[in-house]
Amino acid sequence: MIHFRRVSYWYPESQEPVLRDVSLDIEEGEFVLVIGPSGSGKSTLLRCINGMIPHFYGGTFAGTVRVAGLDPVELGPKGMAHLVGFVLQDPEAQFVVDTVEDELAFAMENQGLSITLMRKRIEEVLDQLSIAHLRHRRISSLSGGEKQHVAIASVLTLQPKVLVLDEPTSQLDPQAAEEVLTVLQKLNEDLGLTILLSEHRLERVAQYADRILWVPAPGQPPALGAPAEILAQVDLTPPLITLAKVLKWQPLPLTIKQARPFARRAGLVREPSLQDEETLLRRRPANSAPQDSLAVDMRDVWYTYPGTDQPALRGIHLQVAEGEFVALMGRNGSGKSTLLKHLIGLLQPQRGQVLVAGHDTRRHSVEELARWVGYVPQNPGALLFQDTLRQELEFTLRNHGLAPRDDSALIRALGLEPHLERYPRDLSVGERQRAALAAILVVEPQVILLDEPTRGLDYPQKRSLAGFLKGQKAQGRTIIMSTHDVELVAECADRVVILGEGEVIVDGPARKVMTSSMIFSSQVNKLLRDDRFLTVEDVLAGMPPAEVTP
Amino acid sequence: MRQEYHPLAWLAWATAAAAIALMTLNPLYLTLLALAVLANYRVISLRSPTARQWGAFLKAGLLIWAITIPFNALMSHHGRYVLFRLPANWPLVGGAITLEAIAYGFARGLSLVLLLMIFATFNSAVDTARLLRRMPAFLYLAGMITSIALAFVPQMISALQEIREAQRVRGHRFRTIRDLLPLIMPLLTTGLERAIQLAESMEARGFGGSAASISRSLNYILKGMTLAGLLALLAGMFARSYWSRQAWIGILLSAGGLLLMTAAFWVQGRRVRRSRYRHELWLSRDTLMVACGAAAAAGILIARALNRAALFYYPYPPYSVWPAFDWRLGLLYALFMAPAWLLPPARAAQPKQLPLPR
Repeated sequence: MIHFRRVSYWYPESQEPVLRDVSLDIEEGEFVLVIGPSGSGKSTLLRCINGMIPHFYGGTFAGTVRVAGLDPVELGPKGMAHLVGFVLQDPEAQFVVDTVEDELAFAMENQGLSITLMRKRIEEVLDQLSIAHLRHRRISSLSGGEKQHVAIASVLTLQPKVLVLDEPTSQLDPQAAEEVLTVLQKLNEDLGLTILLSEHRLERVAQYADRILWVPAPGQPPALGAPAEILAQVDLTPPLITLAKVLKWQPLPLTIKQARPFARRAGLVREPSLQDEETLLRRRPANSAPQDSLAVDMRDVWYTYPGTDQPALRGIHLQVAEGEFVALMGRNGSGKSTLLKHLIGLLQPQRGQVLVAGHDTRRHSVEELARWVGYVPQNPGALLFQDTLRQELEFTLRNHGLAPRDDSALIRALGLEPHLERYPRDLSVGERQRAALAAILVVEPQVILLDEPTRGLDYPQKRSLAGFLKGQKAQGRTIIMSTHDVELVAECADRVVILGEGEVIVDGPARKVMTSSMIFSSQVNKLLRDDRFLTVEDVLAGMPPAEVTP
Repeated sequence: MRQEYHPLAWLAWATAAAAIALMTLNPLYLTLLALAVLANYRVISLRSPTARQWGAFLKAGLLIWAITIPFNALMSHHGRYVLFRLPANWPLVGGAITLEAIAYGFARGLSLVLLLMIFATFNSAVDTARLLRRMPAFLYLAGMITSIALAFVPQMISALQEIREAQRVRGHRFRTIRDLLPLIMPLLTTGLERAIQLAESMEARGFGGSAASISRSLNYILKGMTLAGLLALLAGMFARSYWSRQAWIGILLSAGGLLLMTAAFWVQGRRVRRSRYRHELWLSRDTLMVACGAAAAAGILIARALNRAALFYYPYPPYSVWPAFDWRLGLLYALFMAPAWLLPPARAAQPKQLPLPR
């Protein structure tokens, strides 16, 4: 179906090729997962399939590509539209009109199809993706997951033979991401659609994929093979697979289900009792910390957004001692971001009181609070605007009336030394995230607030973020982060607070909370169900050295 | 989203109503027309998801009206019917407060509010983006660009909010114009990044794909025509304001420019091979609605042609503060209520989706 022969590609004004002599063959009906670190050339490779490269981006192209016998280099993306459906990463930026139904018609209108045919196809696609209830909605009112469903539907109306998706779930929360991936699997199974998907969340898709395409770095030859075979070669994998590799489980298990027999044989699985869960819920949250060493003290906080009826926060009591690392979890709309915004004064309680480092947020402006509290917003792009990263840091310092200081320790800890003089917007997603962290943390706030810090990051980037945060905690900083990323929580957090409908549902030590939960627990914990083991390191630390040979 | 009337029917209705509203200051006729428009607005706002925004817009209009009346009364001291007097030594406002001044402020303000009401009704009733996409083929590209721009606006507003928060938590204070730079720069770059993604997504779905290819030379000729037309149009506008004696030069230039541009668009539009998904049905009630609007407008125009003073109203002496009223004309104004009359009873609007905090 898709054939690459000695394909090389140089971006304009670039000396080094991103793709060098790439040859590969993908059969009809295959589900191929494309993995690799950010910036390795995954997106470039995918864009060769519909001719976006070289038509949209320019540059130098060599070699031949054939998709169902057609040449994308000759036909260009417009000529390939009926054959290759292409879905992009950002759910915000791929819509032309504001109504779902009109958006679905857009591609067909471009092909000049008749109205009767358009009607029929729209009905079919709406049912195929189970989004018939969205047809009259405005796109701006949809959630991120719904938007990606609509984006997929809007290319399926042309009945393409190949569907190419460039990190379609990286901006979504886990539940929404899982729904999108389930839909893709169904399309592959039911329609025999050939699917190429680039994705960071291997733990979700590895079991659906027929083969995995591993793109190690720009200019390096990619490897295409069976999932277990490729994952055995790759260093950064989901915790489950890392554990399996260390413990030399063969054949490599891809899911909890496949791994459990191995774990049981190794005598690692424990059966939790109902009592564990009950004791956890009965225990009141830790209140023992003396009042003066509280970093955050929320007392009966209520907040309702203007123009809505339902309170977003309902009587939140939350006390965080200095030096604690708290993870806020819960589904979208449960109040995590609202709570964080209260801690920096962007929102003020309508009832109750919020004290941060002893300061009442109602008595201080956001700009003053920002001296003591560093808030890193979800989208680092909202923050960065200067010509170089160094200027970004100086800008923050100047805002607070501080002299430029020696920030080399922070820069080193974030691994940003090579980028200090670069334009921040040219950095990769992970580097941008760290640049935003640097721009906020340069004033050394005592409390650090993070809103979804791992969105869009791959495994190495998550790993380095976790390492950095642990370092900050070791320096005595208090960290509160809202996240959906259970593995990050397992690795760093001491305490987990789960919100639901604006209330604190569970508040307790990370190990206890995660072990007793079905969704909020890490892969290793799901596998072993033992509160001593949240991460691979925990398991390895608890084993006699003879059994472990990394 | 089912539309109650054909967008073009609404366009005809709104044009007629606005033209008629501009023709008189007679407060009785204006009030009648305002009530007719209000009836339509009420009916439409029950069914339209966008009506809420326009409600706020109308309230602003009412506020301006409420300010106009006392303002005019305090500033203008002419008239026979003196209600009371303010001390003459008060600057500007001192002197007689007259019924005429109040009547004039009322009528002026009402005619403004009326225009806003017509605008709000039209916008609540018609999906503007969809109307733009109904452009004739040769204006297709222009309509497409405008509709994308409209869809971009809500996105940019939420991005702006996000950026403002992000800069505030860095301790940035917005005090002078210069302080807006950290707001505008990320907004521009974000907008640009999104525009590139959008372009990619449109191209991948074959946008502009099936246009018949044209020769390179014809392409240059078309571009030249568009540019020349635009220049002629601008030159004509300047010419008209500089040589007001020879107005015909400017008019000729502008007309020539428009003609050139239309021709270029038309040739380009002919190459676009595409179909349209939306075909709103033109129902009998659309015809009726347009007929009512047209009949009312025509009747009023004829009445005015027969008697130049039929619509005239000016409260200050030597004219009368009491407006004239002819019931036949009144009936014609009331005809603008037609859209509300002709509709079947409204269903309750669907509850609006509440935005969730992110």
